[in-house]
Amino acid sequence: MKILRRKLRRDLRRQRAQFLAIAVTIFLGVTLFGASYDAYRNLEASYEQAFVELRFANLTTTGGDTKAIAAAARKADGVAHLATRVQADIPFQVDDIKLTGRIVGMPTVEQPSVNRVEVEQGSYLPPADSGGVLVEQHMAENFELDAGDEITVLDAEGASRQLRSVGTAASPEYFWPAPSRQQVFAAPDDFGVLFVPEPTARELAGLATANQVVIYYDGGHENQALTDRLTRAADSAGADDVLTQAQQPSNSALQQDVSGFEELAILFPMLFLSAAALATAVLMRRLVAAQRPTIGVLRAEGFSRAQLLRHYVSFGLISGGLGGVLGALAGVLLAGAVTSAYTSELSIPLTVTELRPATIAVGIAFGVITGLIAAGLPARAASRVAPAEAMRSFAPSAGGSISLLERLLPPARRLPARWRMTIRSLGRNRRRTLSTATGVVLALILILVSWGMVDTMQILIDRQFEEIEREDAELSYQDGVSRSELDAVRDTAGVERAEPALNAAVTLAANGKRYQTALVALREDTQMHGFLLEGGGTTSLPENALLAGEALQGELGISEGDRVTVTAPEADLDPKLPVQGFLAEPLGTLAYSTLATAQRGSGGRVGKGNSALVRFESGVDRDEMRRRLSALPGVSAYEDSQVIRATVDEYLGLFYAFVGVMLLFGGAMAFALIFNSMSSSISERRVELATLRASGAPHMMLARLVTVENLITVLLGIVPGLIAGYAAAALFMASFSNDQFSFALEMRPSTLVLSALAIVLVALISQIPGVRALRRINVAAVIRERAS
Amino acid sequence: MAESVIHLRGVRKTYGEGAAEVAAVRGVDLDVEAGSFVVLLGPSGSGKTTLLNLIGGIEPATSGEIEVDGVDLAELDEEGRTRFRRESVGFIFQFFNLIPTLTGAENVELIAELAGEEDRAAEMVERVGLGERGRHFPSQLSGGEQQRIAVARALASRPRLLLGDEPTGALDLETGRNVLSLLREVGAELGQTVLLVTHNAVIARMADRVLQVRDGLIVSDEANATPLAAEQLEW
Repeated sequence: MKILRRKLRRDLRRQRAQFLAIAVTIFLGVTLFGASYDAYRNLEASYEQAFVELRFANLTTTGGDTKAIAAAARKADGVAHLATRVQADIPFQVDDIKLTGRIVGMPTVEQPSVNRVEVEQGSYLPPADSGGVLVEQHMAENFELDAGDEITVLDAEGASRQLRSVGTAASPEYFWPAPSRQQVFAAPDDFGVLFVPEPTARELAGLATANQVVIYYDGGHENQALTDRLTRAADSAGADDVLTQAQQPSNSALQQDVSGFEELAILFPMLFLSAAALATAVLMRRLVAAQRPTIGVLRAEGFSRAQLLRHYVSFGLISGGLGGVLGALAGVLLAGAVTSAYTSELSIPLTVTELRPATIAVGIAFGVITGLIAAGLPARAASRVAPAEAMRSFAPSAGGSISLLERLLPPARRLPARWRMTIRSLGRNRRRTLSTATGVVLALILILVSWGMVDTMQILIDRQFEEIEREDAELSYQDGVSRSELDAVRDTAGVERAEPALNAAVTLAANGKRYQTALVALREDTQMHGFLLEGGGTTSLPENALLAGEALQGELGISEGDRVTVTAPEADLDPKLPVQGFLAEPLGTLAYSTLATAQRGSGGRVGKGNSALVRFESGVDRDEMRRRLSALPGVSAYEDSQVIRATVDEYLGLFYAFVGVMLLFGGAMAFALIFNSMSSSISERRVELATLRASGAPHMMLARLVTVENLITVLLGIVPGLIAGYAAAALFMASFSNDQFSFALEMRPSTLVLSALAIVLVALISQIPGVRALRRINVAAVIRERAS
Repeated sequence: MAESVIHLRGVRKTYGEGAAEVAAVRGVDLDVEAGSFVVLLGPSGSGKTTLLNLIGGIEPATSGEIEVDGVDLAELDEEGRTRFRRESVGFIFQFFNLIPTLTGAENVELIAELAGEEDRAAEMVERVGLGERGRHFPSQLSGGEQQRIAVARALASRPRLLLGDEPTGALDLETGRNVLSLLREVGAELGQTVLLVTHNAVIARMADRVLQVRDGLIVSDEANATPLAAEQLEW
């Protein structure tokens, strides 16, 4: 019907600000859905393609009889390629910086059949050049190493060897340069990887044979049965560690990020679309109420209920369609940008950005369905209005009642009449009050989930580097730290305290399960490490027992007091040690014992400290300390804990940017919802407000009353919003926790206060257009309309 | 001769501009004595409501002089007109325009508070004969009771001028007569000037003075030497 279409256009034009607010909210929701979902899919595709092209191992075994493991794998159905190689951690020195380096053996001339590298600069390892190496891209970037530059390494005998870079390479094992599952974050100055000719690797590591087998399955596809079989074979061949592709440190850390995108792709857009649906419903109800006489006329003139239903549903359809289409397009653009920024930040050599019609269709459908559902009920009500009823010049007067507050607090009945009016207005249109309060709840969920992530990260990182790891630096000694070497550290200017420590790769086993981690042995009275128990409180290192990260309970199925077998490459600790307590440590799942326990358990073979933990005097120049301490005899690597912390902060940089965007989106959503609610509130009471103006009520007084009423509505949503937001944040953070990271929600009380204040601020800002509209009410015109 | 509480000279009110300009009031001169009961009579669109709004300070005139209760309205800005309405004018509307979330008495109290006359609210509710019924919400009151509350509300600020725009337009005959009677009574009792706008010529018979409005002009101005009591009116 042309005439209804014209009416629709004009109605939309008259309330363009309100419809625009709805369209914007839907747009934000659909954009977020498209951007996060497609970014998630793009990243998965990018990784998948990179993994296939570079044949990223499905299974990696370390230690044991590698020949036997390789032989078993060769016989197994489903294994496409395998390779054996040496991987070892040895000291590196670049200029005057000493760091823990990792060498990975590779064949020359040709790439290995598994775990290939993407040569970014220079050339692949040439034949007959035992000193030519490829530098992993993060190390190359950090130390500005180009082809031809030299790197000093210490071999197994402690002798210096010069290696020369032939180029830089990206490896799927180090897209995120994590040394191990227990050490996901390493400062760029503290860790680096070199791909070296296999014979050179064996020489440097002092190994006669390969110590790793890397296995690639058919098509690179996961195959649990094959993994189980090969794991059993590796176990029986004495392997120290077996890692699947999903457990591989770099991949595991990155998958956390990617799965975060997946969760965001559903949770956050749903919040926006719910808010948009609420805003649409509020606006549509108001529109239908205001147009009752028009509806009556149309019905009396012969328009069918179905025609009117379609007409009013069209409002939601247009807002939802507009927001949905634009949001879907913006989502596509943003997904590409997010994917590129992400892969570029992590130096992933392949970026897959695909246009996914299904995502676009779902995004548009989300928008349209949101609009349809929200407009559907008011439209249905409109179509059911009887002509005679609707054509009355005004809707039947709503019944008033004493407010709940006045019932509960009788003195409130003595408030000035204007404030009683304000309080009672809250119950006047309960749906609108409920919609606004619900919108506040949704906005707070969005804000607290985002802000909760930041708080959790910051609090846990503070805890990790202030309460748990209390040293300023760790010095590594390849052959163990002697008393004289420790004294030399203590005598160095700027050193306040130094303690010996042992950091050994171990496998913990119990109940038929194994867990590869590190045993950190410290002095019984150590001041370099705080032990925070999972249930709260602190403890100290026990004699003849272990403390371990809380995730170990799930990994090994153990509880406090249970004994675990500790196996180290060098020796087994005997007897089995009981775990005396579980620790709440944000990063990694480590085992701790006293140095004496480690020494006793291994008969002295394990337990000699191999590092020195150092605390500085206050105010020292950390760069100078690095230079002084790195130069001490026997020091093979130096780690500055503040640099590690800076690396963590840098890693969180992208994350903070994302949270900032979410906070803006949350603010925009709250604004759109409160703005629409406010507009409806004023529009609904135009005549009353005009009457009060005619009776001499000052504009500012009315503005104050309406503002307070809206603020009370917002406050009604704040308490449940804070509770719901906290719960959602806790749920969200829990989904990020595993044995590498433990992210139980931590939220500062100030976050709750500031979030609530932010919502109040947004509410105040969103009042401005309504308050201005209040000033513009044409008292004479409103009265004249009524009189006529 | 009693003092003039309303003084209009050459008052014009136009809406729109250029070709779309509409003159609602086209040069009205008028003086109304204090305490009189005046009816502005005219058909729809004659400009009578606009004239009432100009006198009540709801909107400014396009040109001309308007002095009400000694106040030159042309000199007042929006805030000044608001204060003027609060202090000097009481309005009664066709559809009562009560706040549905306040009881009848509270509607009166609201305006009394505005004028700093809080104590007067209960008295006014009593005066219009509602007493206990004033505790009910508008939706629980009849049309006549609602309009009585509207009258009490208009009186709450002790205005010199009571302006009614079709105050019986939404009421049945009996109720309408009661409201008119009330207006006449309280107007006389409190010494207020009452100006009613209506298209109902019968109501004019109870006025002291009847002004006929057509096309934005006062086309006749007649004194009524023998006004009828409201109870005598029939329509």
